Amino acid sequence: MSSELWKKSLAELAPAIRSGKVSPVALTEACLGRIEEVDERLDSFIHVSKHALDNACAAEREIKAGKYRGPLHGIPVGIKDNYVTSDMPTTVGSTAPGLKYPMRDAAAVARLRAAGAVPIGKTRTHEFAWGNVTPPVCNPWDLSRVPSGSSGGSGAAVAAGLCVAALGSDTGGSIRMPAAACGTVGLKATFGRVSRDGVVPHSWSLDHAGPLTRTVADTALMMQVLAGYDAADPACQAQPVPDYTKALTKPVKGLRIGVCRNHFFESLQEDVERAVEQSIADLAAAGATIVELKIPLLEYGLGAIFAIELSSSTAYHDASLLAGRVPDFQPDVRTLVEIGRLVTGPDYLKAEQYRSALMEEYRKVFEHVDVVVGPTTPITAWKRGEWTVQVAGKPESVLAASWRFTYPYNLTGLPAISIPCGFDHDGLPIGLQIAGRPFDETTVLSVAHAYERGHDWKNRWPKL
Amino acid sequence: MSDPYKELFGLDLPPERLQEVLAAYGDILAEIRKLRSLDLTDVHPAVVFEPTAPYRKAP
Repeated sequence: MSSELWKKSLAELAPAIRSGKVSPVALTEACLGRIEEVDERLDSFIHVSKHALDNACAAEREIKAGKYRGPLHGIPVGIKDNYVTSDMPTTVGSTAPGLKYPMRDAAAVARLRAAGAVPIGKTRTHEFAWGNVTPPVCNPWDLSRVPSGSSGGSGAAVAAGLCVAALGSDTGGSIRMPAAACGTVGLKATFGRVSRDGVVPHSWSLDHAGPLTRTVADTALMMQVLAGYDAADPACQAQPVPDYTKALTKPVKGLRIGVCRNHFFESLQEDVERAVEQSIADLAAAGATIVELKIPLLEYGLGAIFAIELSSSTAYHDASLLAGRVPDFQPDVRTLVEIGRLVTGPDYLKAEQYRSALMEEYRKVFEHVDVVVGPTTPITAWKRGEWTVQVAGKPESVLAASWRFTYPYNLTGLPAISIPCGFDHDGLPIGLQIAGRPFDETTVLSVAHAYERGHDWKNRWPKL
Repeated sequence: MSDPYKELFGLDLPPERLQEVLAAYGDILAEIRKLRSLDLTDVHPAVVFEPTAPYRKAP
């Protein structure tokens, strides 16, 4: 168990730490060593914690004293740099002057600490979580490509074994897109399931907090700690928290799996389409019933998410606009923040009306199916510096293409996970997205786990 | 109005920069125009005003 500890999953490490076979200090040293070894090339961490080893020592002492806190005790985790932290600086990926964030723990970070996890550092985010490139982070499968974003640092760090798990945030796909591009698991739970207190806002009604991990079982373990009510987040709901790990054993046989043939299959790279079709066939072979369906209203979604995200982000950054700080933002983010002023009040509220209509369409869909599956993204990781990609033989901006399949679940707030489902001809990971009913993360996780068990994607590692 | 973008939208930018922003907004505006074409008169927006919000506390 001691060799290459950084390659072990959380579900493998937890019982070994509990029994004393693995030392949290040795594990943290292995991750810090891995950061030292490869992060000069990946650039996934903006800050490495100087307290990580002390915290690992404290965890080890507690466990030896018989005070085991649970599966996250002594586990090194990365924290996206838009979660405020008490012992590490927060930049939200910005070098613009005049911005300060409190030195306190975001609710999710506090929950991880209370569970005994060891925050090992802050992972890079696209500036203000407003983009899908996350410069200067590189994709561990091909350093000339992006890790996607905005939780690109977390995706790259987890995929390369720099930490066992990481926190991300997802406003239009920012957990699931880097999970797909880097070959990890990423869950955006139901809106209101995980507190966003202390996550620097991007778009209040679209932002979600959640984990990126290497396996579905690890996501279940992270969710057991992260899920729960928090009065400090106005959107958080006091729903009971189920046993997510127990739910993994739920059989896929007999489940009805929806495949939405419009929108999600209209324009995507051939390798992505092939891998996702094979995944659907595999789920059918495992005993699930495939239900083909259409949701025509999805055609209007891009305008809606742009109207909400642009106007919300600009409202949040209004003080920076007034203070003349926005020209110091990165050029792409500066443009988006300035554009937000042009979205009108009626456009914003029309978009919120559209959300209600789309939520109702999905409610009807979930009368007939248990989950909806499809590709997470239409494209695999693109080259750094590229702003246009070829999709189904046509040029398309990465801004429009990359989040096309993820943002519907931010608009509806439904739980959605991305899991690896293969590789393209360039050896780049492909993501399968599984979405479910509100607060039914257990069914989403059970389908994801059933698929993962039948394949060996999680055992493949990038050559670094 | 000397500068409608400044007075109507609060967007105080030099003319060259304003043109760049408007050009970047073009594709997005096309999508928002599609949204405007929907008749959603009878649909309540997904925004709920909750006057009890300041009184929320842990159960």
